[in-house]
Amino acid sequence: MTALLAVEDYTLGYRVAGTIRPVLEALSLQIAPGEVLGLVGESGSGKSSLASAIMRALPRNAREAGGRIAFTGQDLRGLAEPALRPVRGRRIGMVFQDPSAALNPTLTIGRQVREVLHLHRGLAPAAAHREALDILGHVGLHDPAALLRRYPHQVSGGEKQRVLIATAFATRPELLILDEPTTALDVITGTRILDLFAALLHETGAGALYISHDLALVARVSHRVAVLRAGRLVEQGPARRIFAAPEHAYTRELADAVPRPERRLTHSTPGGPLLELDRVSVTYGARRLFAPAPVPVVSEVSFTVRDGEILGVVGESGSGKSTLARALTGLVPHAGALRLRGAAVGRMGRDYRRAVQIVFQHPDASLNPRHTVGSQIARPLKLFGGDVSDVQRLLDQVRLPASYASRYPHQLSGGEKQRVAIARAFAARPALVICDEITAPLDVSVQATVIELLLELHRSHGTAYLFITHDLNLVRQIAHRIAVMQAGRLVDLQSSAAVAGGEGAAYTRALIDASPRLEHFPSQVARK
Amino acid sequence: MTEILRRLWRTLQGRLGLMLLLIILLACLFGPALAPFDPEAIDFMGRYAAPSVRHWLGGDQLGRDVFSRLLWGARTTVPLALLATLGGTIVGAVIGTASAFWGGRVDEAIMRTVDAVMAIPGLLMALLIVGTLGAGSGNAALAVAIAFVPSMARITRSVALSVRRLDYVGAALARGEGAGWIVLAEMLPNVIAPIVVETTIRVAFAVMVFATLSFLGLGAQPPAADWGLMAAEARRTLHQAPWTMIGPAGAIALTAIGFNLLGDGLRDALNPRDER
Repeated sequence: MTALLAVEDYTLGYRVAGTIRPVLEALSLQIAPGEVLGLVGESGSGKSSLASAIMRALPRNAREAGGRIAFTGQDLRGLAEPALRPVRGRRIGMVFQDPSAALNPTLTIGRQVREVLHLHRGLAPAAAHREALDILGHVGLHDPAALLRRYPHQVSGGEKQRVLIATAFATRPELLILDEPTTALDVITGTRILDLFAALLHETGAGALYISHDLALVARVSHRVAVLRAGRLVEQGPARRIFAAPEHAYTRELADAVPRPERRLTHSTPGGPLLELDRVSVTYGARRLFAPAPVPVVSEVSFTVRDGEILGVVGESGSGKSTLARALTGLVPHAGALRLRGAAVGRMGRDYRRAVQIVFQHPDASLNPRHTVGSQIARPLKLFGGDVSDVQRLLDQVRLPASYASRYPHQLSGGEKQRVAIARAFAARPALVICDEITAPLDVSVQATVIELLLELHRSHGTAYLFITHDLNLVRQIAHRIAVMQAGRLVDLQSSAAVAGGEGAAYTRALIDASPRLEHFPSQVARK
Repeated sequence: MTEILRRLWRTLQGRLGLMLLLIILLACLFGPALAPFDPEAIDFMGRYAAPSVRHWLGGDQLGRDVFSRLLWGARTTVPLALLATLGGTIVGAVIGTASAFWGGRVDEAIMRTVDAVMAIPGLLMALLIVGTLGAGSGNAALAVAIAFVPSMARITRSVALSVRRLDYVGAALARGEGAGWIVLAEMLPNVIAPIVVETTIRVAFAVMVFATLSFLGLGAQPPAADWGLMAAEARRTLHQAPWTMIGPAGAIALTAIGFNLLGDGLRDALNPRDER
């Protein structure tokens, strides 16, 4: 039987400033019809370049040095643009990472779905409309007729991704390429998308290349897994075997980096009350005369963070976690009272600002691209009274070389940037650091090292963390207590042990069930 | 700085722009020394002299050597245009960034004022200011600078609004930084790229506004060798001696093209993520 897709000895590089930077080297992999191959690797390992190469959508500075990309025996590399058109989109479908970037914001969803059906299946407008209703209903979207009339910004990220997956399957492709399709979504939505994906694959018998940096996810959907590192394949094999008995040291490293809730990493005991929240509410937008009152994004949340405590805050996207973080740092106005070590916080003064620091989700956005790393870390030292020469010590503390002080943020990798952001927060010698999804944009392996660093700083400084995340596995590893938020309200607040014991609100248990785990073997696809 | 120049040199536009501006810079620095004639020496026999080996770009209505006048004029025209543009840009950029930073009612008040000022055409505005302060090159520069402020403020604000939402501004607010620091040190350096590009294009425009003011008798005063004034004087003799117009017009055009190309090159070179 010929393979559906066979990449043989494929080498790819990008031409940068006159030299060729290698991206993929002598890569060979195969996907049989109906098989799901998971491709795992860190960012920069060349996963997405491979997807572009298969779709023949490489950037202009790409240089292919040899090899074949055979799709049902035919080398795609030799095909000219007109010959590629029937392959692309129809026989090979693609789902991208960010659903909001993959849909055109100026066209209705209906128009975009109908266009695909018209182009690739030759359906007339009326037939395309009926088919669109049918396929959207099939992927579990409520009221497809209304959805088709909407614009992309009027529907949620999960719904958009469903539309894209439905459309990708609607052309009845033989091969689907999925490039991190759930990374931009929260856990519960992501899990539902994966279930849908597994069901559709089973139904249509299409093969798939599933690209992700998250081993636990890949294990859940793939038959076989290929591990990519710096453009080279280090290991390839059945999903079950790769994780149960990884052969290559790098694969083992990746498997170890996946958070396992039963492996506790924190052993400290928290002290007295540090920051008390008393019915804190946040409402965006002003009350207008005849309009209904705006719905609060955070409504009457009360809890206490204790000295040296790691308090996890989890919830779906839109549950108000990040808004709460912004309210606690004074970036959005809030109602309700705050008490820092028993003293009421009126206007957030110097003492409060120093004691409560925040690390944001995206290090790209939270570091000023025009200031050196050193000057950004030195800023809190100047503001809150510290020795500017401490910059070296702080860099050392987050395990970055002292020479990094003179670098600019764009010269650093994502993980390094996040370390700088952490160093900047610790420069103020805070009592509480609010971590707002700080590991979400990082690869699993980098995430593990950042967490390790945070815990080390916790041990040596006794700093409390308000750790906001949607990764329940991670927070169960490190938090003393876990607060669960849903639609702006605090629905549950339990110790990690109690959460593990199955106590707590029904919603908490739903979140736990949605979290991917390596123990989910045999994988869903294989099971069906 | 050398890094930016190096990157600038790599782009074709940047290289051409730099070369043109280098010629103009040389004219500004050594023009008087290089000029073959005294720019104000009147030669009745040489009136409307056609370009020749003796008078490279011909002679004007008073027999003054056009080439020499251009070399002398570079000194008054280009630095003044640059100064006026820079002044207008800096004030406009700070106002725009501050407006975006404060937002809400303050933003509304500043931007509506800017709208009101923009409702008056730039040239009319400049005329009003020069008319009030009195004619002269310095006042003309001030007028051009003030006329540039509103549109610069508007352009800067639109860029600064997107920067305002970024987390590093949030981080600065969260650690209790003052408005001055956030506007000047956190936001302004990040809105600079589009401003620089806009500025270089405006320099060319400033040269032309100066020419207009001089033409109307409100800028440089005769017999100064100002390019705008030269073009204005040559208008009457355009059919008789086109070279008296071609010289200064060409110089203004070359300066404008030079700054425009530099602007295009800078736009690429100033992008910190571009690692070419």
